[in-house]
Amino acid sequence: MPPNIIPADTNGIRDKAAIVGIGETEFSWDSGRSELQLASEAIKAACDDAGIAPQDIDGLIRYDMESNHETLLTQSLGIKNLRHWESVSYGGGAGNATVGHAAAAIAAGYANYVVCFRAANLRSGVRLGRARGPERIAGGADSFAVPWGSMAPAHRFGMFVRRYMHEYGATSRHFGWVAVTLREHASRNPRALRREPITIDDHQNSRMVVDPLHVLDFCQENDGAAAVVMTTPERARELRHSDTLTLVEAAAQGSGPRNDGIVYRPDLAAAESEHTARDLWARARLSASDMDAMMFYDHFTPFCLINLETYGFVPRGEAKDFVDGGANIRFDGMLPVNTHGGNHSEAYIHGLTHVQEAVRLIRGDSTAQPPQKAINRVLSCSSVAQLSGAVIIRRG
Amino acid sequence: MTQQSETAAKSPPMTAPLEGVPLPDMERVPDYERGFWEGTRNGELRIQRCADCGRFRHLPTPMCPECSSLQYSWTQVSGRGFVYSFVIVRHPVHPAIREREQTPYNICMIELEEQEGLRVCSNILQVAPEDIGIGMPVQVTFMPVADDPEVTLPVFLPAPQQ
Repeated sequence: MPPNIIPADTNGIRDKAAIVGIGETEFSWDSGRSELQLASEAIKAACDDAGIAPQDIDGLIRYDMESNHETLLTQSLGIKNLRHWESVSYGGGAGNATVGHAAAAIAAGYANYVVCFRAANLRSGVRLGRARGPERIAGGADSFAVPWGSMAPAHRFGMFVRRYMHEYGATSRHFGWVAVTLREHASRNPRALRREPITIDDHQNSRMVVDPLHVLDFCQENDGAAAVVMTTPERARELRHSDTLTLVEAAAQGSGPRNDGIVYRPDLAAAESEHTARDLWARARLSASDMDAMMFYDHFTPFCLINLETYGFVPRGEAKDFVDGGANIRFDGMLPVNTHGGNHSEAYIHGLTHVQEAVRLIRGDSTAQPPQKAINRVLSCSSVAQLSGAVIIRRG
Repeated sequence: MTQQSETAAKSPPMTAPLEGVPLPDMERVPDYERGFWEGTRNGELRIQRCADCGRFRHLPTPMCPECSSLQYSWTQVSGRGFVYSFVIVRHPVHPAIREREQTPYNICMIELEEQEGLRVCSNILQVAPEDIGIGMPVQVTFMPVADDPEVTLPVFLPAPQQ
């Protein structure tokens, strides 16, 4: 490891930024409208929730996969002057990372109202789960994978899952309990695209798509948009949700080594989020036991187990026992996870809906609000995407 | 899956590389990757090796990630290794896989015996999907690709346990 020149517990954003508004479009298989339209609608909804006008926005954090560039949005939203803008790389790791970046921009005084958003027709437009790209490959990781048929996210992440199962004895049934639980949460959520409850047998009997992954291990591909509005805690106290301050306590990102191509990590059963988690907990001076719920990036159900372990909720290899039967991870269980139903059953908006659900849990208005305990701190995290991000959101 | 494979008929093994899938364009692959493909065309599995610290590396890169040397060679390896991880693709996501009914097929990460953690992506031929397992010893072989005479793919066959 290179010398860590940053003191591990440096946390310049601690409680310097608040999430004051969340908003989204409806989620669908075919939105029937442009991605700029979706972005504008979601951002307007988030501004309405915050009690600000879209014209007040002076900071934008987008995903670099996003088709909506700043110029399009300043035009559509009527922004008078954008003071700060950033793009965060990739999909899955970016959801939480955008919030960390926005908090840093606010803490630095670069902007007053920063919006993080993701808007995409990921079903009616270009589907990420389908093979795509040019017929010839100009080198790079794809050229050492696609000729042998490794061309979709499930192929790469399935490779990881197989190795994890081999090393720790997790089985498809364990992943099934995650699917059952996420679907149960979605069944309570009117925004969710998939609300029909499923059983463990439904999961086990569902089509094998990329062995070891059944179709009920996959997230959805859908259209839609989500946005969050952030500002300083001082301004937050003047806005619509002044009764519940929702603060960003800490954030972290991590790449780990050798992430290009996803499957070349020295220990494929280990996630890059080990690095993210180490920095996150050091910065927050907290640990997993301080968290009241975990929103994890569920591109595939096995990553519930990976997140539980890398963020330290359970020791390595023990998540399979923790998720078995689903009781521990249900909304009314020991550690509620993805109470909105996640990418798996609510909608796939590249992880930003997980941040929104963390905010709802803090506000106490999730459709699967844990009845058994107050929710004061929520971890929103990702493990293996290509690069991971995590954020702790707390009640102020 | 294990129970199923004991009672149900096994799926057919792959006998050749996939057809109709995107291939690297030899005109455009970067210089620091070309040695791999020159090797396969000559029936050799050549892996990029640092000329200073001697470490192998794959995926290829311009610089040694261990010692930062910019000097490297393309070194032939034995082609012996074992299955580090694998998936069995049963649902096609590419039109050529679907139209030519090329599922199921396997994708394997093969760890090469020369160095711990040195892995390449490939297919295993002549083994039913249900019989592929982590740790299985394999040996490289080379197959021309129907779609492009410029490209030869390394694929693997089962090898005797050492």
